[in-house]
Amino acid sequence: MTEKQGLPSYVKYALILLLSITLILFTQSIKLVFNPASTPVNGMTIAGLASLWIFSVIGIGISQLLSKTNIAILKNFPILGWVSITSLVMCLIFDFFVTAIQAVDFLSITTPILTFAGISVADRLVDLRKTSWKVAIVAIFVFIGTYLGSALLAQFGLMVSGN
Amino acid sequence: MKRQLIFLLLFVLFVITTAEWIGFQNITIGAITITLLPLVFAILITMVLGMKLFRQGFMKQIYSKANVSFASKYLIFIMLPLMARYGADVAPQINDILQVGWVFIIQDLGNLGTVLIGLPIAVFIGLRREAIGATLGIGREGELAYISEKYTLESKEGRGVLSIYIIGTLFGALFFSIFAPILLDIGLRPEALAMASGVGSSSMMTGASSTLVARLPEMESTILSYAAASQLLTSFLGTFTMIFLAVPLQRFMYKILVRGDQS
Repeated sequence: MTEKQGLPSYVKYALILLLSITLILFTQSIKLVFNPASTPVNGMTIAGLASLWIFSVIGIGISQLLSKTNIAILKNFPILGWVSITSLVMCLIFDFFVTAIQAVDFLSITTPILTFAGISVADRLVDLRKTSWKVAIVAIFVFIGTYLGSALLAQFGLMVSGN
Repeated sequence: MKRQLIFLLLFVLFVITTAEWIGFQNITIGAITITLLPLVFAILITMVLGMKLFRQGFMKQIYSKANVSFASKYLIFIMLPLMARYGADVAPQINDILQVGWVFIIQDLGNLGTVLIGLPIAVFIGLRREAIGATLGIGREGELAYISEKYTLESKEGRGVLSIYIIGTLFGALFFSIFAPILLDIGLRPEALAMASGVGSSSMMTGASSTLVARLPEMESTILSYAAASQLLTSFLGTFTMIFLAVPLQRFMYKILVRGDQS
């Protein structure tokens, strides 16, 4: 798809992020309707959502700046990582951000994302036919392998360090 | 196109509402409890309704080419606030995390489990060169890039990595959201499972860590911070682990496993 007449990309990204945090707010409100005991929506929640938006924008900015460097590890580091790092640094400096962001219900962030993820793979469902049942079996063991491998090493490590 | 996009957004609101209405569902089988979260219902609803069978009339407008490509193109940006949230989870726990920092590093080597467990099984059921691509890792962007550079994606190795990529994209989050609490019931520590959740794919990490949080709400901050820290570490170390450890290990094991073939 070519979008020649469209908005500049950073404006588009900012709008998509706005959509994302709006959907989170919607989800958290809906959750309250079905379960009044869940995380309330208040001024802090709005401040938290605004912080998430700003850190995401900064992360995109960093990633775009570094995409011009020649240092491979910095160039290929995912935007997702830069956003986490930006947020981490800001949260370490200002406690306020931690309080605000934690007023945003965690599971309310995940539902809209997986909704989009489900829609995004709709046209790839047919690709499943190209994969054999053998690879599907292997996939199960590959997923089990990475998770179990890490979990056992972590369990061992925590035991040794006496935690 | 504009009107279709509005349909898409209304559909998204509808799916979120339905998923939250279904809410948490626990299915207990013997000693194991499977927790299904709203996010699981959200992905199931959108995937099922996206099948060709249901794409009639109005649904065809929602799952139009433009809308589906909008969703896949911007999914990563929709995810960014989640990544920012992880920063806020790690910050208050940073001292605890640094204290057991070496555990985070060694558990990252657990990602070699894809080769150790996956490769023998792949060879056993008759896969050969496909197995190289299929078991190098969980088939995310890093492995995809490496295999396509070395073998091209049209090769058998390429087909293997692509298949894992597709299966992981479709079912990864679902799989880990069910598998993580099973290990919890078996008796592994939540901290260890949280660290292991940083498998290198954000949606899979979300699947794994979210169900752990749902099962142990009082440990939410520990679980989320450990998962996020481990995920960040995997983003940094992942490529190195693959090239310097997974690739040589795989080559070594593959030679031994297929030795019987020539005779």
